Amino acid sequence: MSFRKLLFNWFKRIFRRRKLIRLGLYGPPNAGKTTLANKISMDWTGTPVGSVSEIPHETRSVQKKEKVVVRSDGQKIEMNLLDMPGIATKVDYEDFMKYGMDAKEARQRAKEATKGVIEAIKWLEHVDTALVVIDATEDPYTQVNITIIGNLEARDIPVIIVANKIDLKEAEPDRIREAFPQHPVVEISAMTGKNIDDLYQAIAKHSR
Amino acid sequence: MDIEIEFITSDVLEGKTPEEKMEFLLEKIKDDKIIVVEESLSSQEEVLLIEATMKQISKRFPGIEVSTLRERSAEGFKEKLIKMLGGRTGGLTVIGPSKLVKKIKKEPQKISILAGEKDKEREK
Repeated sequence: MSFRKLLFNWFKRIFRRRKLIRLGLYGPPNAGKTTLANKISMDWTGTPVGSVSEIPHETRSVQKKEKVVVRSDGQKIEMNLLDMPGIATKVDYEDFMKYGMDAKEARQRAKEATKGVIEAIKWLEHVDTALVVIDATEDPYTQVNITIIGNLEARDIPVIIVANKIDLKEAEPDRIREAFPQHPVVEISAMTGKNIDDLYQAIAKHSR
Repeated sequence: MDIEIEFITSDVLEGKTPEEKMEFLLEKIKDDKIIVVEESLSSQEEVLLIEATMKQISKRFPGIEVSTLRERSAEGFKEKLIKMLGGRTGGLTVIGPSKLVKKIKKEPQKISILAGEKDKEREK
């Protein structure tokens, strides 16, 4: 990187640093976004953000927790935590019926899920820093992950990739590092809280 | 069941706004065609495509599978010149209806698709 670019980025960081940032949690459905949002919120406010379910698209509208103050390495980051609906290219109501829903209920959930995806996309322009949550047991090189990260990059929004579910033995977080070498990757288990302090350090370091 | 694959040159999409482009592609996909486009969609076009898809989801159309191979980066003199003249330096997009595309496997320089009728009979 040239000296001019380094200087430019340094000034940009100084002047763009806000007192209150909007931290968006993005990712595909069932990556563990709400589990992570709840973990962060419980750690710093004592109350959760939203409900968690094994059925995909449990979060169908943006869930907000305002003024969450995270402290790490002597820094204080005040944030509005935004738990986004999962972004997907398909929403098949029949998939919900596999979890015991009747057709009417499943269709309603599918309708709400499609609106949730659109809402999450609209919010891409309004977050200051993004946590992209990826299930470390799945192939990370999917179009949805690439599209989310590409859009955040195009808007110059800092991205921290969260390799979640490392408590599962099938987890392969190294695949995520290989797929997205341009961004910091933090390996955690939102469920057990493993390495969560590493994530707070990354938020303190990379947010703006 | 027969599967129709349509190859579209970038000339066909030239002059269309991003919204018109997405509508054009979606109409074909809703006709149960797998589309191969001779250009990569930009990140912004990809979210427009997802948004347009979400607005059209129904019992008969549960969504799409999509994969894009990016253009070569414009680092070399030749690529820079092509870009300056408004040309493209490669890239490819594959889009299909999710009820036909069972799996898309994406790698940095390769896309493979497993397509076929899914096991269930969809409600009319």
